[in-house]
Amino acid sequence: MLIAQEFVRPIIDWHGVAPELTLLAIGAMVTLVDIIWNEKAQRIIPTLTGLGFLAALLPVLTLWSDRDELPRVMWDGAYVVDEYSLVLKGLFLVSAYVVVLLATNYMHDGDYYEGEFYQLVSASVVGMLVMTSARDLISIFVAIELISIPAYLMAAWRKRDLKSNEAGLKYMLMGVFASALMLYGMSLLYGFAGDTRLAAIAPALRSSESIPLITLAVVFVVVGFGFKVSAVPFHTWAPDTYEGAPTPLTAFLAVASKAAGFVALMSVVIVAFPEQSGVAEPLLWVLAAVTMTVGNLIAMRQTNIVRMLAYSGIAQAGYMIAPLAVFGDVPSSAARAIVIYLVIYAAMNLGAFAVVITAARKTRSGEISSYGGLFQYAPGLAVLMTLFLFSLAGIPPFGGWYAKYQVFLVLVEPATTAGYVLAAIGAVNAVLAAFYYLSIMKQMWFMPEPNGDHTRVQITPSLQAALAITAIVTLVTGVLPGVIPDVGDLVVALP
Amino acid sequence: MIDVIVFAISALIIIGGAIGVIALPNPVHAALSLIATFFGVAVLFVQQEAHFLALVQVVVYAGAIVVLFLFVIMLLGVDRAQELGVEPLAGQRAAGVAVGAVLLALVVGGLFLSGDPDRGGAVALTGQSGQVVPTVEGEQDVIQLARDLFTRHLLTFEATGILLTVATVGAVVLVRARGAEDLILDEPGTAQH
Repeated sequence: MLIAQEFVRPIIDWHGVAPELTLLAIGAMVTLVDIIWNEKAQRIIPTLTGLGFLAALLPVLTLWSDRDELPRVMWDGAYVVDEYSLVLKGLFLVSAYVVVLLATNYMHDGDYYEGEFYQLVSASVVGMLVMTSARDLISIFVAIELISIPAYLMAAWRKRDLKSNEAGLKYMLMGVFASALMLYGMSLLYGFAGDTRLAAIAPALRSSESIPLITLAVVFVVVGFGFKVSAVPFHTWAPDTYEGAPTPLTAFLAVASKAAGFVALMSVVIVAFPEQSGVAEPLLWVLAAVTMTVGNLIAMRQTNIVRMLAYSGIAQAGYMIAPLAVFGDVPSSAARAIVIYLVIYAAMNLGAFAVVITAARKTRSGEISSYGGLFQYAPGLAVLMTLFLFSLAGIPPFGGWYAKYQVFLVLVEPATTAGYVLAAIGAVNAVLAAFYYLSIMKQMWFMPEPNGDHTRVQITPSLQAALAITAIVTLVTGVLPGVIPDVGDLVVALP
Repeated sequence: MIDVIVFAISALIIIGGAIGVIALPNPVHAALSLIATFFGVAVLFVQQEAHFLALVQVVVYAGAIVVLFLFVIMLLGVDRAQELGVEPLAGQRAAGVAVGAVLLALVVGGLFLSGDPDRGGAVALTGQSGQVVPTVEGEQDVIQLARDLFTRHLLTFEATGILLTVATVGAVVLVRARGAEDLILDEPGTAQH
């Protein structure tokens, strides 16, 4: 007899996986509509995909309303639906909806393949939803690949343009290299624990004495995630990829894809490494300090706005890594601060990209100098851009200040020298960042239009919706920060 | 004793193959010497009683993936020795060697340095051979793997399915030519529509 033990059908909590399954069904439907009606369907496919993201938000809301049942633990603790994962699922679905709004006219006017683009976006978002609940090395890895591989392909979507080809190729090569490093670290972690579940790795690491090997595993895993969140010195792919990729996809990479990398980093570091903070904390401290400073210094020298936003995004990633540098003392507040930062960063950065895409419909340029006179011919757009830039710089009363304030609170909470020094570096960097954000405002408000062309910018309904959503979220999170739901405790015991 | 001999022979084959991949000037030869590495790893899997992994290693890696490599090499017409004397970026090789040396030191250090002696630290590499512990006694590894795949990793398994489909769709879009789609060289920054 070969089978010594009967196969037991795993119990699946269908409500718990409903968001993923809904989105998967929508993605399949978009594919079918695209195949059956072909050209005739091109007009409705973006709408359909956008509604699909909103439809997948419904089960997230019902799960949230049924909070007494949380955490829902599935597959022996490999998959957990808790407050943390629900807040992030909501963030990913709304960001993806805004990205679809940004892409609608861009993809159509540019005559790029449309149906397939939205299918790839949906697949990538399914990966993000899985990522928020994954508490197991294998599901985290598969989720990362499910997020990244469609993104590699979409970065090269403007395939008649060499810059876009370069963007896709660079992103893929660096991404695959990072995955290999991460897998190596993960295999060492598995070797320690004999288990892929994060909650089982923590006690195994705690009882192990092989500090050098643990260090090796931690370094490789953190470096692998460092590439995904474009932390310095693993950021070299980001500016070229951001510049060459279709701009809506750049917004997707800079916000959703980066946030997914942070979710993975957070889950692994906070759940699996709690007792190894002596190894992980100094590494993350250096990563945070270098990422903020280098990102800001290079951002100052940029003349192309997309490249500038890429470097500003790198600097912002430094702020998001910072709470992890003190996570050993305050794991729950660190996770809370990062989630708050991710929500606000998503709103303000998507908003900035929405303005860039709208303005490029008239100027056909990504140069910062082309923003001259924006206030004269498109005052609304200039005001909105000012709002997003103020928020990115962390000036009250817009969302960005609250995100930075939370990060500083976490850094000073354990009252250690390392935390205070990192907070000081963060404060200096906030001043540096204000410099280049304000230089764009100077262009918009005080410089004349370079060609003397004062025709108005045509803002399509989908771009209007995207600008409205991002502006409202940026404002509300700044004035009433309490609206961001609390993410609770991240660590869930094994069943 | 026989374990050590088998390990030594397959380790030599693995390392020899790996050196061949980076040292041989002809890409076809490099791809072929990759097969040697894959076979050596397969032997090690058999030694660890991971028969299914050994089979997959031979069929998928030594078989399909290397054939795919050769296919691409032939298709691109680079089946000759490449000119490797030119360094595209000055100092790139020196930097590569330095990074490689640091990585090697990190891995070797991780394996041989002892842990904190106060906490009973020991050298990670002990020279003792590993033990095979089946999760269910008296069951083949294929069955154990299948059980794990269709219970705990069910969702991951399905996600991999989506991943493969999506990668195929995207690859077709990227390589497909629609009418006269010539590569146009846009001015930087003007390509946004």
